[in-house]
Amino acid sequence: MNFDFDVIARSLPLLLAGALVTVQITALSVGFGLLIGMFAGIARLSSIKPVRVLAAVYVDFIRGTPLLVQIFLIYFAIPLVIGQRVDPFVAAITACSINSGAYVAEIFRSGIQSIDKGQMEAGRSLGMSWVQTMRYIIMPQAFKRIIPPLGNEFIAMLKDSSLVSVIGFEELTRRGQLVIARTYASFEIWLAVAFIYLLMTFTISRAVDYLERRYRIK
Amino acid sequence: MIKIRNLRKQFGELEVLKGVSVDIAEREVVVVIGPSGSGKSTFLRCINYLEEPTSGEIEVDGIALANDASINQVRMEVGMVFQRFNLFPHMTVLENIMLAPMKVRRMNRTEAEQRARELLAKVGLAEKAAAYPEQLSGGQQQRVAIARALAMRPKVMLFDEPTSALDPEMIKEVLEVMMSLAKEGMTMVVVTHEMGFAREVGDRVLFMDEGRIVEQGTPEDIFSRAKEERTKLFLSKILLLSPTE
Repeated sequence: MNFDFDVIARSLPLLLAGALVTVQITALSVGFGLLIGMFAGIARLSSIKPVRVLAAVYVDFIRGTPLLVQIFLIYFAIPLVIGQRVDPFVAAITACSINSGAYVAEIFRSGIQSIDKGQMEAGRSLGMSWVQTMRYIIMPQAFKRIIPPLGNEFIAMLKDSSLVSVIGFEELTRRGQLVIARTYASFEIWLAVAFIYLLMTFTISRAVDYLERRYRIK
Repeated sequence: MIKIRNLRKQFGELEVLKGVSVDIAEREVVVVIGPSGSGKSTFLRCINYLEEPTSGEIEVDGIALANDASINQVRMEVGMVFQRFNLFPHMTVLENIMLAPMKVRRMNRTEAEQRARELLAKVGLAEKAAAYPEQLSGGQQQRVAIARALAMRPKVMLFDEPTSALDPEMIKEVLEVMMSLAKEGMTMVVVTHEMGFAREVGDRVLFMDEGRIVEQGTPEDIFSRAKEERTKLFLSKILLLSPTE
């Protein structure tokens, strides 16, 4: 078998452009996922039962169904509701954010629960409201503890974002498919794609290690 | 200052407080003693609603505790010191003390810092302002916790076994701070096993057992001429073991 380095070199600009899109969709999804997850995670601990149940249903539904199915659901269900086609980019971000939010919610929930109950009591006994105590005392401490699992979530999302290629969204994996359709160099291109993913996930895990070390000092 | 009527607290099937009524006057130092499980900590924690009573009435400084607004209002006037200090580990000592006055009393930063430094000097820890709680000994942490509570200018201070988690050699420094507070006329309710403190500083001693106030009186009344058998039994056990005797 002939291994064709040249085809990799020639396709690299296309693939890297795809990688950039992958980074964008991951960053946006995890960003929105953080927001959704923070509120859903807090909602899971709410003293109001309907809020708690709603958050639990959301988390269980998302974690209990495949992301691939969720992407199809959003891509094909939204047009039925709003009466027009959705842009693959919007569908991809929406599906990945909602998906990420459920996992982040569980990370936040366990992070908040890991903080000693005495912290909330101390805050409340000083006259601070529940929201103030959450914001100034519980969350800053929980954030430090959940950096490693959040990093894992970021990495998982980056890899899982390859699934949005099924709705024709041109991120790294989809670009790889398109290049192969033209060059027939399946092995070379998939190998290149794999290495680009590895490079990105490796960079993220190093960054998370750095953050973890930096915040452990205090 | 504090008026409590028929206070009951149930945890599931277990009735921890079985109807406690007591009045505490301004500037009074009330020491609550009793065996573990007698409900004395729960009693203390009900005063600022960290535990929600099952029934009964609580009034602090003329404010009846009922809705969220009155609870927060009362908590501003009632400082609390915990057995496990509960300092905020992600903030410096100074920030620990400044946080609540700034967020709750809307004090500006300069004023809050000045007040915090005064209080640190008062508890003898002026030089620890920039330290983090984990860099301090237990006794120092508890003194910071007292300063943090005082920063809100409370009218009442509640102490929940403030020296129980301390190494013996650090107990005195905390008790001394509490003693000077009492001398300044602070209204205090103290749950403790420190009988020396109770005798020295207490205006009144409450002996609690099985969710009730069994006996109360001046330290002299309780320690030297207790009337109830249960009080005598408890004291005979604890005083035999106490080095302060």
